[in-house]
Amino acid sequence: MVYFKWAFWGTFWLIVAAFFHYTLPQNDIVRIVNTEVERQELNDWTRMFWATPDDQSVDLINRDVQFIHAVTPEGDIRVYRNEDTGWGWPPYFKFDTSNLYAEASDAVSTKAAPEWYAVKHYGWRNEFLSIFPNAVSIKPVAGPDVRIIPWLNIVILTLFFALVWAIWARWRRFRRNRIDPVLEELEDSYDAASDSLAEKRGRIGRWLDSWKSKK
Amino acid sequence: MLALARLFIICFVLMTAVFVAVSLWSRSVRKRKLAREWDEEIREGDREAFIDEGLEDYSHSLRRRLILLVYVVPILLIGVIVYLVNFY
Repeated sequence: MVYFKWAFWGTFWLIVAAFFHYTLPQNDIVRIVNTEVERQELNDWTRMFWATPDDQSVDLINRDVQFIHAVTPEGDIRVYRNEDTGWGWPPYFKFDTSNLYAEASDAVSTKAAPEWYAVKHYGWRNEFLSIFPNAVSIKPVAGPDVRIIPWLNIVILTLFFALVWAIWARWRRFRRNRIDPVLEELEDSYDAASDSLAEKRGRIGRWLDSWKSKK
Repeated sequence: MLALARLFIICFVLMTAVFVAVSLWSRSVRKRKLAREWDEEIREGDREAFIDEGLEDYSHSLRRRLILLVYVVPILLIGVIVYLVNFY
């Protein structure tokens, strides 16, 4: 039972962490090397990692998707998709995909003369599932060592944990005041019932014994 | 447009749930406060009438109308996000 409880809460918090890690924005300092448009097949379950652009294309199983290719100062590769989130989830309300594409194309620089950009994005890159983070905005930064403090994430996570703590404290209080006394009462009455049952059995036993022949 | 309608409906349902919950909670807090005020300070006349009168005042108060911010704030927030992401 204890293992089950730990497994349940472990899985629950893992899902919550994954949800926030996927949805909240992150910044990469990168050098943008290319922008391109590529046809994507979107007919399996990984469809949920792609945007649903507008009403007409809901039924389409393949469509063109814009990509932004970039390289980090350490030389790691970053590939972003560039899609509208529209009015859907996650709530970035991004409608300027084409503008961002133009900005990114304008930001392309070479290894010899690098220009560094902060790409704000959400989502995961996974090579096996062929999924890509979605770029939300780009802005030029002074150099490859710029550190961006994620104020928005700090605020959102603080509010979230405050809410969890508030619910948890109320649940504990509710349990202490309403559920524990009832359980104790049940336990007491169970004890009393089994005592009186034992007593009754004893009396019936004695009565039955009285019919047996005495040796 | 379907996506916008869906967002609107979901937000409306959620905000209405929050609005109802906050309204009930706020009214109960006010009621408790009035009861305590009567018990500790007034202690004469009709207790029920005093509480009813206080709640009637509360119904017309600014504090109760401020709960409508539950609807206004998310809409403003969405507007700000749309501006910052697309036009800033």
